[in-house]
Amino acid sequence: MYLLRAIVRPEKSPIVMNALLNAGFPAVTKLSVFGRGKQRGLKVGNVTYDELPKDLLMIVIPEKDKDFVIETIIESARSGDKGQFGDGKIFVTPVTETYTISSGKKEI
Amino acid sequence: MKLILAIIRIAKMQETKMALQDAGLPSFTAMPVLGRGKGHGDLERAAKYAPEHVELISSVPRLKSKRMITLMVTDDKKDLAVETILKMNQTGESGDGKIFVIDSSDSVHIRTGEKGDITLD
Repeated sequence: MYLLRAIVRPEKSPIVMNALLNAGFPAVTKLSVFGRGKQRGLKVGNVTYDELPKDLLMIVIPEKDKDFVIETIIESARSGDKGQFGDGKIFVTPVTETYTISSGKKEI
Repeated sequence: MKLILAIIRIAKMQETKMALQDAGLPSFTAMPVLGRGKGHGDLERAAKYAPEHVELISSVPRLKSKRMITLMVTDDKKDLAVETILKMNQTGESGDGKIFVIDSSDSVHIRTGEKGDITLD
């Protein structure tokens, strides 16, 4: 099992979630977060915005689907063909155990 | 050391908090999140309570408000934490949430600079 944490543009998150739904991965948790990246935020004239709003999508998936889901997120979250600064990141963390609360079983 | 991520119903927060406190695990972080699961819940509930409206339910699962609680525990307290959360949150219907257990390598107490399991006791 892997936990994917994808930080995407807020306006892209419905597109990413739709793409995941159509690919057969409906389960997603979404948080609004603020952050900055390597470009140290956004500079407009004299003003620097160093906390830019993003959406954090959390998805837990089996190991065999990992590469496919990452590819789906990248394709749908990228702006334009080549992508832009600020399109976000995906972090992958191994999950040792998962439980479904309603049944109490050790499975998704 | 384990990081436990639990996504639960908002209405169950109070009970879960009290139960964790009674179990000796008072420290955790909670945040409001939106989420969806496999998407069976709406259809199941409609079939049970209002069968005449089943065809009006969208096949796309809606995002619902949930609480995510994250708590760090030592390895030996992992089962206790998982069981406490499971016990307080099981209604048996879909939408009860999920628990994820993630291995964590270290933790640091910011005030004192201590590292390791001692920070979690």
